[in-house]
Amino acid sequence: MKLFRLLHEILREIFEEAAYHRFCTKEGVSSGRASYASFLRDRQRVGSNVRCC
Amino acid sequence: MRSSYRFFLWAFVAFLAVSSLATIALHRGEQINALWLVTAAVCTYALGYRFYGKFIATKVLGLDPQRATPAERLENGRDFVPTNKWVVFGHHFAAIAGPGPLVGPVLAAQFGYLPGTLWILVGAVFGGCVQDFVVLLFSVRRDGKSLTEMAKDEIGRVGGFVAYASVISILVILLAVCALIVVNALKQSPWGAFTIAMTIPIAVLMGVYLRRLRPGRVLETSAIGFVLVLAAIWGGQWASQTPTVAKYFTLSASALAIAIIAYGFAASALPVWLLLAPRDYLSTFVKLGTIGLLAVGIVVMHPTLHMPALTRFIDGTGPVFAGKLFPFAFITIACGAISGFHSLISSGTTPKLIRRETEIRLVGYGAMLCESLVAIMATVAACVLEPGTYFAINSPAGIVGQSAEKAVGVISGWGFNVTAGSMQALAQSVGEQTLFNRTGGAPAFAVGMAHIFSNSLGGQAVMALWYHFALMFEALFILTVLDAGTRVGRFMIQDALGHIWKPLGRTSWYPSILSTSALIVAAWGYFLWQGVRDPLGGINSLWPLFGIANQLLAAVALCVATTIIIKMHHAKYALVTLAPLTWLVVVTFTASWHKIFDSDPRIGFLSQARQLAEAGGNARLIFNNRLDAVVTGVLIALVSLLLVESIRHWVGLLSGKRVAQTAESPFVATRLAEERA
Repeated sequence: MKLFRLLHEILREIFEEAAYHRFCTKEGVSSGRASYASFLRDRQRVGSNVRCC
Repeated sequence: MRSSYRFFLWAFVAFLAVSSLATIALHRGEQINALWLVTAAVCTYALGYRFYGKFIATKVLGLDPQRATPAERLENGRDFVPTNKWVVFGHHFAAIAGPGPLVGPVLAAQFGYLPGTLWILVGAVFGGCVQDFVVLLFSVRRDGKSLTEMAKDEIGRVGGFVAYASVISILVILLAVCALIVVNALKQSPWGAFTIAMTIPIAVLMGVYLRRLRPGRVLETSAIGFVLVLAAIWGGQWASQTPTVAKYFTLSASALAIAIIAYGFAASALPVWLLLAPRDYLSTFVKLGTIGLLAVGIVVMHPTLHMPALTRFIDGTGPVFAGKLFPFAFITIACGAISGFHSLISSGTTPKLIRRETEIRLVGYGAMLCESLVAIMATVAACVLEPGTYFAINSPAGIVGQSAEKAVGVISGWGFNVTAGSMQALAQSVGEQTLFNRTGGAPAFAVGMAHIFSNSLGGQAVMALWYHFALMFEALFILTVLDAGTRVGRFMIQDALGHIWKPLGRTSWYPSILSTSALIVAAWGYFLWQGVRDPLGGINSLWPLFGIANQLLAAVALCVATTIIIKMHHAKYALVTLAPLTWLVVVTFTASWHKIFDSDPRIGFLSQARQLAEAGGNARLIFNNRLDAVVTGVLIALVSLLLVESIRHWVGLLSGKRVAQTAESPFVATRLAEERA
């Protein structure tokens, strides 16, 4: 069970769900279209999508 | 008792490593099982991680569990976030694992399975893992600074400039090579072209679903996208068998190149949520699942390798790419052994997530070992093919001839039996019209992977589905590297141009977005077009260029790391990074020399240009060869400049004429340790 929870946590981090959750907590907003749009703008500024060859 | 138990355990692992390595190295003229390669790899990695990795962690870097990391000190809930070590490991692995460890080993299999396997193991344990590990730690100790910033701080302005120029050059060449692999895999393949074309509307649908219907539900959206992609693979079979649809997806290499250039521009200029982000999620989802599936498939199937340990092509006459075993095997396999590009990830997002310094060994050294294992699996996938089949798929028409009869004659003449009938049957079983001249590595990998999968699940009846699944998997994440890389390149150009005229640096100003996107796409598009028009298949000139650029970036990273280690310890321990640096300099400089000046026209750019000029050949081809020679020369000149500057620094530091000043952040005790206590 612990392994599945860890695996889920890893996938949430890789797929940026955890980052979105942190963003909502930090900004004090609930999940929704507007908050997700500003989260995506924020991620673009940080520039986290570098992928290696 | 416990320590003696451990001693015997590690002695057993060492025995297994040595005996499996001896088996794969000493068997001549006999076929061996793929599990020997996997066992040798896993045992070597375990020993490397336990002993060499630990030595670097404790003696060289002095990882300090009491020292607060930037994730803790600068925590902002955005990019600086203390994160569980396994989560960071997964995140880092997903970022470093790309198409490189799959394609390079497949191409290098023309030398046989042995050289590639040994280089992947030794290169990873003593080079690639060390580079990723030390760069990650040095970035953590500098508040998550990037490689170019560290180069500027530690070696001076020259270091910063060379690092920047190397990154942008490698990016352009990498993107061209990635696009060329996709072109070669999808040309005249309506099934493959249909499936990959469908991933674009699927990604747009995912983007709209994520933004409008279920904001933030990425895992759920990726799972839906994955189901749609599977439906697209199934639909591809229908498309290829329906003449009215098939004619729109049976594309020439030139038509595909134009489509990919247009796609690259659109992905760079469109909002990130619409195309780029959902494609990235989808690609990561498929990538992690397929790599896991391939590992299980190899263990369950434990196939026999049909490729010999060494082939006659170690003499440099290989049809896949020209050049002798040394130095060309070592630049053909970059990712999987050592890849400079990883240093950008190790000094990018990852250092900002590290919770404790002591966890860096697992993330930096450990994730690279996993990537290396992926490269071993790619070697297995290529070497399970009959050598004749492998060479028929990977040899360009310029070497083996246009017709099937001519090609099988040439390949059989090399001593690798293959018949036109067996190739036709194989092509039919995977749903293609032909498999001859499918250079670039991706189709050969897909056939090998389909062979492994179909023998474990579904049998020969589903070989075509597995082949197109493998092709889709490769093309999907190659295109993800292409669109993300184009965007990163656009940002870098905007950043540089912003110093000349401020509005050009604004990432949201549309004239700037369009002009810089066009600039970066034109740069890699030019090299792609050159590869598509190349009679030798393009891979012969572009893949070595990419390998040289990637390894030179690794040399830049190791120069920075060696400078910092000398500042920390003087000469003691400098060999840890100096040894792989020396090897890379010898390999890349030798390879570059051959690529520019070799008298064999298949190897040397200048001699090929001369041969074409004497034969009254195409002026564009002559120009392209001279351009490739200039690009290689510029890369070497840049890295030579950095090397001279670094050596000047090292001599100054070792003789005491220069004060050892590092840009390391001051020590702050961690609160996490207190909480734990």
